Amino acid sequence: MKAWRRVAAVARKDLLLEWRGRDAVLPAGSFGFAVLLVLGLVSGGGGKAAPSALWVSVLLAAVLAAGRGADREGEEGTREVLLLYPGSREDLFWGRWLALCVVLLVLAAGLWCAQVLLFDAPTRGAGVLILAGLLATAGLGAAGTLLAALVAHVRAGPLLMPLLFLPATVPVLLAGVRLSEAAASGAPAGPWWGVLVVFDLLFLLVGPALFELVVEG
Amino acid sequence: MRPLDPVVTDALGRRFGAVVALRGVGLRVREGTCLLLLGPNGSGKTTLLRVLATALRPTEGRAWVCGYDVVSEGHRVRELCAFLGTSAGVYAGLTGFENVCLAADLCGRPRWQVAELLGWAGLEQVAHRPVRTYSLGMRRRLALARVRLQEPRVLLLDEPFVGLDEEGTRLVAELVTGVKKRGGAVVLATHDLDRARALCDAVAELESGRLLSSGPAGLAGAVSRG
Repeated sequence: MKAWRRVAAVARKDLLLEWRGRDAVLPAGSFGFAVLLVLGLVSGGGGKAAPSALWVSVLLAAVLAAGRGADREGEEGTREVLLLYPGSREDLFWGRWLALCVVLLVLAAGLWCAQVLLFDAPTRGAGVLILAGLLATAGLGAAGTLLAALVAHVRAGPLLMPLLFLPATVPVLLAGVRLSEAAASGAPAGPWWGVLVVFDLLFLLVGPALFELVVEG
Repeated sequence: MRPLDPVVTDALGRRFGAVVALRGVGLRVREGTCLLLLGPNGSGKTTLLRVLATALRPTEGRAWVCGYDVVSEGHRVRELCAFLGTSAGVYAGLTGFENVCLAADLCGRPRWQVAELLGWAGLEQVAHRPVRTYSLGMRRRLALARVRLQEPRVLLLDEPFVGLDEEGTRLVAELVTGVKKRGGAVVLATHDLDRARALCDAVAELESGRLLSSGPAGLAGAVSRG
């Protein structure tokens, strides 16, 4: 049984459901935009605060989006059916991860556009920002997929998700903000690329390995 | 040594905290037969099926499906068995066709079988409609198509007749007969004895998680009591 076919099937299923229902992108995107707006008002909308506001809004929107896929499986009673198909459960992890990464990239792109408009932020250093965004998305997607599967068995799961996700992803927030500031000012990024890469490696290695244990509850 | 029969349990038990759902259940389902699980609500029928399907881990004893241990060789068990629970477990936001395509991709089956299976389930006219527009019976038929696609050696059915009309019942019978003919085994839990009577070769009765009786000898008595 080809793993790539199983991964693609799960990702396609999640993305189709999201495209038809828009029940992750719309609420998470609206929430992220609201956070951006509030931070803009508090900080006075200066360009200096723009990187922090962007990454905080992306992270908070990611909490909502990551939990949505697992919630959907629970609501439709399909979680067990999915787990009982033959084949490695790591494939399910990678399928979910892929779909979540696409959703997170859409959210991040939308929030970046909103940030440029709201904060009148400079658009130079876009290459650095795109690379940082891709790396951050890979790690956030892995952390979100693993933690959403973990809290799916818990009654207070929606409450637990941000409590686990936000502390675990602080390195992404810090690295994202510092890299964005460095890109805007043209200063060297220092060790922050390394922080992002280590975070990604950690969750991309640990995530699939722990997924099977976690989904069995 | 691996048990030869398709389904074997030995002193199987499952607790949910302080609640004992199954205790000391020893069963054997032979090749080409269907075992009917009977018992009142809460007697442990669904728990037993879910343990055999690897959806739950036993807390005591062992179980084997086609000779594979359901705990240590769960991945092999999932290749050989299919479970249809009380929920159809289909995605309401996908069409019937997309649901069965997903199953085909996940089981490594060719997609050309999908249209044929939807035809078998009598869903070809509604195959490209979202499942949220399906009735309960249609969703159950879709789930039957998905299970048939898996071509299991061991079929585990929990209340398979719920929501099904006569045609749907015929599909369940066809599925059960097909597995038996291929030398597999079926474990079927239901309260609908009229529909199950013709399909089963043996009966096991559970009560409060314990096995009260099992074997073909109990069949006549148990079914007639039903």
